[in-house]
Amino acid sequence: MKGKVAIILFAVLSVCFSCRNSSDKTKQFIFPEADSVPLEESEKLSAEAIEEISKNISSPVEIANLLQMMEVPFSADYLASTIDANKQETAFDKAISLGILGADLGYLNMYEQTASSIDILSSIKKLAEGINVGQFFDFETIKRLSLNRSDLDSLLFLSIDSYTQIDEYLRDNARGQLSALMIIGVWIEGQYLATQVVKEYPDPVLKDRIGEQKIILNDLIMLANPYCKIDLEYSELCNSLQIIKEKYRDVRISYTLGEPISVEKDGGLVVTQTETSKVEMTDEQLKEIIDITEQIRNKLIVNK
Amino acid sequence: MNKYFLLLVFLLVGIFSQAQSTDPLVSNCVMNAGPDTRYLKDFRIQLAQGSPSADMRYKAQMSLWKNTKYRFSLCNSDESQGQLILTIKDVANKEILSSFDKKTGKIYPFIDFICNKSGIYTLNFDFDGGKQGSGVGVVFMVR
Repeated sequence: MKGKVAIILFAVLSVCFSCRNSSDKTKQFIFPEADSVPLEESEKLSAEAIEEISKNISSPVEIANLLQMMEVPFSADYLASTIDANKQETAFDKAISLGILGADLGYLNMYEQTASSIDILSSIKKLAEGINVGQFFDFETIKRLSLNRSDLDSLLFLSIDSYTQIDEYLRDNARGQLSALMIIGVWIEGQYLATQVVKEYPDPVLKDRIGEQKIILNDLIMLANPYCKIDLEYSELCNSLQIIKEKYRDVRISYTLGEPISVEKDGGLVVTQTETSKVEMTDEQLKEIIDITEQIRNKLIVNK
Repeated sequence: MNKYFLLLVFLLVGIFSQAQSTDPLVSNCVMNAGPDTRYLKDFRIQLAQGSPSADMRYKAQMSLWKNTKYRFSLCNSDESQGQLILTIKDVANKEILSSFDKKTGKIYPFIDFICNKSGIYTLNFDFDGGKQGSGVGVVFMVR
């Protein structure tokens, strides 16, 4: 099992090394068709590999942090507030909604929007209980910290830690499909937030961040692949991810080389990376990514 | 009397709710990260005595994004015989940073990393000299 993962890793590394051997200063890293993992391989991914992938997915807190740095004001319009926890009937709906609302919670926490976060917390509580993982969410403490608005780090820590524990518990108890749904939900909502904001605030840094999601898209697909045949809901989600991947096909990420610079400061070490990555994405490609993300995300938050 | 009793109750509730919600090692590490940091995730590491020359034993992957300054704080439990060290490598296995300076033997308790290349990185943790230990590596964004 590990051997298969090693082969995949080796193939990816080989692509990178072969790029490094070329004479150009600027190296291009393009996702060719061949790097997509065949279903048969991904179905055999080990629990360890799935755990690794789940840790790779970026936190919605990072997107929210970027928006704050760009001085983008908070907007409740971006939230999936239409999700009615009582109307999520299947475990699929509950798990994916849990992910989507988890990303919203990260956004709300970062902007210290306590009133809205209490409503979202109540929905999260119901959804978590609906798939029997409510015990990992310390709702009362999170609620108290939200209302206090004094200790953002504790709030972020508890919120993120609760999701991490749920994720681990689900994977350890042969319910990895729900863990995958939660992670995919978090990613889709983070992507939705970024793509909605970029329409109004076309900041190059945010555009790059959207383009760079190509780096982890294959991981997300690998995470979902073992479950694509469970039922129609899962297969539709897998198709959606493939459609997003298709929209990213011609987005290019190139790299320039450099050695990191380290300096000692205040008892610690500050390391500045001089290697850089650069995203090449046309406005048309971005628009297609915005549209497809909106379409897929909005379909997922419809109450049944 | 009632006033003191109520105060005691509040204190106990406060202490209890803090203790039940977090691992003290992690929460102390989070709380002492310094100003302008935002918690992202943590890696709790517990390792038995190993070989000093072996590869670092705890590995985890994490996506790091361009235009972001990260802080990696390394905290050790009191019972730890070794000090937690972190080395980060990129997808091509190139070392990007290490909290252990091989030339001087110095171990840094935190590293700020100004990331300019988005990608998936491998975080390698171990205790110095392959010693037994338990600790936590906490990742923050720095504003």
